[in-house]
Amino acid sequence: QEVDMQAQAEGIRTVFNDPTNFNVKHPLYSPWTLWFDSPATKGRNLPQTPISAFPQTPIPQTPGVAAAQGWMEDIKRVISFDSVEEFWGLYNNIIPPSQLPQKANYYLFKEGIIPAWEDEANKNGGKWSIQLPKDKNRANVDKMWLYTMLAAIGETFDPSPTMSDGTGTPPKSLITGVIVSTRPQFYRLSIWTRLAPTASEEDGLRERIEGVGKHFKMSVLGYSEGQKLGGPLATEVEFLSHKDSEKKGKAAKKIIV
Amino acid sequence: SNTKAVPAPLPSALATARVIDDLGRVPYPEGVMSPKIELNINAKDGKFRYDREFLLQFMSICKEKPDMLPPLDAIGLEPTDQASLSM
Repeated sequence: QEVDMQAQAEGIRTVFNDPTNFNVKHPLYSPWTLWFDSPATKGRNLPQTPISAFPQTPIPQTPGVAAAQGWMEDIKRVISFDSVEEFWGLYNNIIPPSQLPQKANYYLFKEGIIPAWEDEANKNGGKWSIQLPKDKNRANVDKMWLYTMLAAIGETFDPSPTMSDGTGTPPKSLITGVIVSTRPQFYRLSIWTRLAPTASEEDGLRERIEGVGKHFKMSVLGYSEGQKLGGPLATEVEFLSHKDSEKKGKAAKKIIV
Repeated sequence: SNTKAVPAPLPSALATARVIDDLGRVPYPEGVMSPKIELNINAKDGKFRYDREFLLQFMSICKEKPDMLPPLDAIGLEPTDQASLSM
């Protein structure tokens, strides 16, 4: 009560002080955009979205980006937000992954980054992902996705989001976005990163990437360190660079935590 | 106090709320946890990090549908009946 009086004295009312008449909100580390696709969105022209919705990122017309534009045509931009309060307003008014149709995806990416390999922010990166059998995880997937989104917007995946990558560019968080996918037999959750370690790397990037994977496995998904997760329709928590993902068939260097 | 029979729609608090620039000066009511301090040492320009426990406290409070949310059926984002699918 004393604190309430103090808040009142300073004129600061959070949503906890007054849910309908608050006057401050909690900014997120970065603004985010939620995207969605499913077989039902293909070919729909309503509300028109991706590339045209991004005046702030002029995209050079390279072949890769042209391909990304084709890919992005079927992906619908749902909304952008930049505060904790707005995130929850959205969360409480859309459907959770367990109720999505089959072959659907939610993509939650930082504003200005499209959920495609070809985006500047993604092209040198990779992803942590886990595949979970649908039958055993129908009851868990909504919480797993919520916790994944909270770690993304709360910026707790990257142990040092303000650490420089050593290239002289301003420090940026490693995380570019998170995805949940529904398939007939399984769910997949993915965390996309701006960079991926290479064999010659000596600058701590691999440790930093592994830190993201461990946080994902233990704090977000609730597994213990060293717990084996692979099995029929299930994978470990594993990292693959987008460049290695493109080399289909070739032995890819996965990192597993 | 103002007790008009048909009040004009108020702008949502979200639209007019200002952005917190100093988390340390926000006095949360009793029973509400502040964000973990260690996540925001030297934080500036509203670049704040928030732990899950802090964020989850908003879930049951912030329920208002965002003004900018498109009709979900227009983008094919409709719930499927899982009960009938699994039969």
